[in-house]
Amino acid sequence: MHEKVLNLLETGKVDIFLGYKMMAGHPLPHAFGRHNPVEVQEMILGPARYPLEKLAVEILAARPDLKIGILARDCNRRALNVLTVHQQVAPGQVQVLEVSCCPSPLQRHADCSSLEAKEFGAGKKEIGIDNNLTPDRLEAMEPTERFSRWMYEFQKCLKCYGCRDICPVCFCRECSLEHEDLIGTGDLPPEVPIFHLVRAVHMAGRCIDCGLCEDACPVDIPLRLLYRKVNELVADLFDYKTGLSLEQPPFSLLFDKTAQPAAAPHGA
Amino acid sequence: MYKLVPSVCSYCGTGCGVLFKVLDGKLLGTLPLKTHPVNEGKLCIKGWNLHEFVNSPLRLKAPLIRINGRFAKVTWDRAIRYTAEKFREVMSQHGPDSVGFLASAKITNEDNYLIQKFARAVVGTNNVDHCARL
Amino acid sequence: MTLKRMRFLKELFAFMGLGGRLRLEWISSAEAQKFVKVVSEFTEEIRALGPNPVGRYTCESGKKIGRRAACPTAPDPVLADTAPGPHTVPRAAAEGR
Repeated sequence: MHEKVLNLLETGKVDIFLGYKMMAGHPLPHAFGRHNPVEVQEMILGPARYPLEKLAVEILAARPDLKIGILARDCNRRALNVLTVHQQVAPGQVQVLEVSCCPSPLQRHADCSSLEAKEFGAGKKEIGIDNNLTPDRLEAMEPTERFSRWMYEFQKCLKCYGCRDICPVCFCRECSLEHEDLIGTGDLPPEVPIFHLVRAVHMAGRCIDCGLCEDACPVDIPLRLLYRKVNELVADLFDYKTGLSLEQPPFSLLFDKTAQPAAAPHGA
Repeated sequence: MYKLVPSVCSYCGTGCGVLFKVLDGKLLGTLPLKTHPVNEGKLCIKGWNLHEFVNSPLRLKAPLIRINGRFAKVTWDRAIRYTAEKFREVMSQHGPDSVGFLASAKITNEDNYLIQKFARAVVGTNNVDHCARL
Repeated sequence: MTLKRMRFLKELFAFMGLGGRLRLEWISSAEAQKFVKVVSEFTEEIRALGPNPVGRYTCESGKKIGRRAACPTAPDPVLADTAPGPHTVPRAAAEGR
């Protein structure tokens, strides 16, 4: 791994390589550069996960002259695919050094330790939703109970926008969640369930199931569960596999541009 | 060129760990520090927007004194001297309890200790409060 | 595509527990009878479902939807043990098990 990064830096394929390094006792994302090749030996894999591809795209927006490489887990790779099909970054503009560690149903690997199931208290299990549930398990409940549980979760929202801010595929300059006409901007708490459902709909065809939103949520709203259902619907109804390839067009619910799957005629 | 700098949120006394994104010496954004024991990768809306006030054009970078009804930029020495003179003036007329001290949740314990010590031992008043309602 | 989009929304609503409150029909301006039939049917369906549960989270002013603290007159819809109304609160459901 270290040799590959050194090689990328020395051959000029990349100017900055985003990986992880222990700093001040924390595993932190770090930009490795050509000026300090010795430092590359200190590069580590994790355990923390940050949206490195989002950082890379931000850097490229300000400094398009730079060439960037990132250490990419499966989720980073999928996010980069989504960002590429949405033309936030040109194909190949960000060099990728892949590492595999992903339990998401979007991938077959299942050895990511960053998404280990968390334990939740009895109160949340009784009136809220255990974040470790799968969509099927939730659907087995009565609709009224399900609604009440979702509302319990949504009502905890602090409107910190952390889910959006950490999200590697949230790149819009203008966000519906901050639009005066769509969602009251100054009001706290946010309008539920609209606030969360708007974000859920916007995650259709974008969410790459990395779980960073749920990690960043101060009140443990089971966002990954919600977006996982959205992803299932996108896969079932539109036959769109989010982030798995660079060949597909960007997914859109509002326009007719999504490529029709081969089996479309009998569906329409 | 590009750096990620760990730091502590300066808004309230909780002390959440944050990570600043710095490109070419300019603050681009804030991320939560995932492994920080206080916030464990979570932030409130103020923490998420910590970088904004640093680059804000409205940010005061020098002390201002009202001269002839208009604010004028002055040096720290002059501002402190001016404040001390005014304090002395008020205190000599109305006694030490006519002034108060507002400490801050944004500064360290030690600084807060010094402020109350200054208020009680030097000035001689118990009028000390802080901005926990920030 | 509208068909698929509506199915997407319907299923998302159903996942939230708000199923059955959305319907898509194609009615031409010449099909007055179909319009009457669809609207009457759907009205009955909606009525049978009872009041929209989102309303239980709305203040009387109808403006703010949020926590009880934001609208002191409304009972807390989740924690209220008494008067479950047409929508069983989960706590009562848990006790009944």
